[in-house]
Amino acid sequence: MGKKFSGVSQTMSRFRGWIQAGATLLTNLHLPNFLKGGLYQGAGKTVCVPGLNCYSCPAASGACPIGAFQAVVGSSKFSFSYYITGFLILLGVLLGRFICGFLCPFGWFQELLHKIPTKKLSTKRLKPLTYLKYAVLLVMVFLLPAFLVNDVGMGDPFFCKYLCPQGVLEGAIPLSLANSGIRAALGKLFTWKFSILLSVIVLSVLFYRPFCKWLCPLGAFYALFNRVSLFQMKVDKNKCVSCGNCARACKMDVDVTKTPNHTECIRCGMCIRACPTNAVCFRYGFGNGKETTKKTTMEELK
Amino acid sequence: MSCGKKAAAQIVLLMAGAAMLCFGVWRGEAATVLSKAIKLCLECVGIG
Amino acid sequence: MNRKRIFALAFAVLMVLSLAACGTRDNDKMANGSGNGSAMTGEPKTAEEALALHKELLERENALLSENTELWEKVFMEADKGMAMIEDGKNYGDFLLDTVEAAKEQFTDKEYEWLKESATEISNIENKLTALEEKYPEIVQQSMDGDMSMPAGSDTSNPPDDGSMQKFPAFEGKDLDGNAVKSDELFSGNAVTVVNFWFTTCNPCVGELSELDALNKELAKKGGSLIGVNTFTLDGDEAAISEAKDVLAKKGATYQNVYFDSDGEAGKFTTNIFAYPTTYVVDRSGNIVGDPIVGAITEKKQAETLQTLIDQALAADMG
Repeated sequence: MGKKFSGVSQTMSRFRGWIQAGATLLTNLHLPNFLKGGLYQGAGKTVCVPGLNCYSCPAASGACPIGAFQAVVGSSKFSFSYYITGFLILLGVLLGRFICGFLCPFGWFQELLHKIPTKKLSTKRLKPLTYLKYAVLLVMVFLLPAFLVNDVGMGDPFFCKYLCPQGVLEGAIPLSLANSGIRAALGKLFTWKFSILLSVIVLSVLFYRPFCKWLCPLGAFYALFNRVSLFQMKVDKNKCVSCGNCARACKMDVDVTKTPNHTECIRCGMCIRACPTNAVCFRYGFGNGKETTKKTTMEELK
Repeated sequence: MSCGKKAAAQIVLLMAGAAMLCFGVWRGEAATVLSKAIKLCLECVGIG
Repeated sequence: MNRKRIFALAFAVLMVLSLAACGTRDNDKMANGSGNGSAMTGEPKTAEEALALHKELLERENALLSENTELWEKVFMEADKGMAMIEDGKNYGDFLLDTVEAAKEQFTDKEYEWLKESATEISNIENKLTALEEKYPEIVQQSMDGDMSMPAGSDTSNPPDDGSMQKFPAFEGKDLDGNAVKSDELFSGNAVTVVNFWFTTCNPCVGELSELDALNKELAKKGGSLIGVNTFTLDGDEAAISEAKDVLAKKGATYQNVYFDSDGEAGKFTTNIFAYPTTYVVDRSGNIVGDPIVGAITEKKQAETLQTLIDQALAADMG
C-alpha cells in the first residue's frame, strides 16, 4: 500500500499541470459570460472556491474566500466572518497548501508565466519577504476592512481594492473589454492595479510564484495549517541517502528532509520526482504515520 | 509533535472549523457573501 | 517538451488578451478620428445620405471631445459656473469657444491653441449639423438619440442603438414611505429624472448618497428630479426597507427612493444590472438619455458625464 502511494505521488506530481488546468476550469465554469460581459448570479456563489479566484470574474462559479471574508468583515452587520474562517480552517486541515500547488488558478497562471524561457532567479535570499504575506492577511484582509469603517459602519475590501492582481486579470480586463459602461468607469484605481498585475507578471517570469511566496493572504492562511494538514509530505529516513537533490529541486526554498511540512511547501511534488531512492512521498491521513513500517498511508483515511 | 497529539489537534481543528462554519451560516453570513458575489463590486476589481 | 509548447501558446493568448485591454480605448479614438475627411465637405442628396453624414459628423465631434478628456473637463467645469449652456439655441461649438476664451488664463498656450482649434471645428460641425437638420428634419430623431455631444468616457465603439430610443421600463411601485409612484407620472412631471440603482451593502453606492442628495436639490431648481432604487427593497421587503432608510438617514439623503415588483418590466431590467452603482438619465418622455453611468459619481469623470447627460436632456426639453 505504502509503495503504491508513492507511485500515486509520482503520478499526481507529474500530471499536476493538467490538474491545475482542470481546477481552473471548474472554478470558472461559466465561460460564455466572457462574451456577454455579465456575471454568473446563481446560488453557487454562496460557497467559496478553494483557490484565489475573483468572484467578479464573469465565469466564476463560486465566491473568492478572501473577497468573501472582506465582504463579511467590512459589512456593517458583522466584524468577523465565522463562515469563511471555518471554511478555510476545514480546507487548511484537509488539504493545506496542496490547494496552492494543485487547485489555485492564480498559482497556475504564475507557473505558466514562469515557463517562458528566460534567465531564472533564485528567491532564496529573499526569504524574509515570505513573512510579508502574513501581514497582508492580518492588516489588509482583516484589520483594515473591519475597523477602518465609514459613518455607516462599512469598510473597504482593502486587499481586493488595492492589491489583488487576480481581480484585474479576471474581472476588470474581461469585463471592460465586453462592456462599454465599465470601460468608461476605469479610473486611477485601475491604473494602479494594472501596474501591480504587470509587475506580478514580470516577476513571475523571473521568479517562481512570487505572489504566492510574498503576498498571497490565502496562501498565508493555508500555510499556517500546513503542519497539521492531513495532506502531508513524508520522508522515509531509511531510504534517504542525504543527497540533497530534493532541496535543490524545491522551488519554494524548502529543505525537504529537515522540514517536509514547512509553511512554504505547496505540495507540488518536485522533490518526489527528484529523489533517486523514492524516499519522499505524499501521505494522507491523521497523525504522523509510522516511521519504519509504512503500511499506514491509505488505510488511515477510512 | 507526537503522532497521537497531532491527530488530536487535527480532529479538534476540523470540528472547530465545522462549528464556525455552521455558526457563520446560522447568523446570516452566507447571504452577505452571496449578495456581494453576484454583483460586480467595482472597487474590488479595481475599476473605479 | 510538447507540453511546454502548449503552455507557452496558452500563455501567449493570455498575454495578448490582457494587453488588448489597454489598447481598446485608443483604437476607438483612432477609428473615430480617421476617415472623416469627406464628412466636412460632402453634400448629401438623399435623406439617407444626410443621415449617414449627420452620424459621421456627430462621431467626429465626439471624437474631438473625447480626445483630450482632462482639458475638456476643465472647460466644462468653467461652463458649469456660467451655466448658460445651449438653451439659448446657440451653437455648441461657439459656446465652447466662448467658455475657452473666458477661461483662457487657466490653460497653457499650447492647450489654449488646441482647445480653440477643436472648438472651432466643433462649431463648424455644429453649423453643418444645423443645416442638415433644417433640410432633413426627420434625421434628427434617428441620429441623435442617446448620443449627442458626450465627452469623456462615453463609448462609441459599441454602436448605441441609433434609430430606436430606449424607453426606461415602466413601473408602478412605492417609495420607502409607502406612497405610490408611477413611472409615467414621475417622468412626465420632470424635465429630467436621474435614476440611481444601489444596494445597501455596496460601499461605493452608499458613498455617493450625499452627493446624489445635493444633485437632487440642484435638479429641483431646474425642474428635474433624482430617485434611488435600492435593489434589496424590491417587492417591498420590510427589513431591507428599514435598513435602506437607516443608511439614507445616516447619509442625510432625503430624495425619493422607490421599489417595485421584481418580476415586472422594471424588475427584470434591474436584475440585468450587475455593476453597482449604475445611474440612468431619463427625459420627460421616459427615454433613457445616453449610456448608463457605471460607478460612483464621486469620481470626477463620472460626475462630468452625468452632468453632460442632464444638460443634454434639459436642453432637449427646452427646445
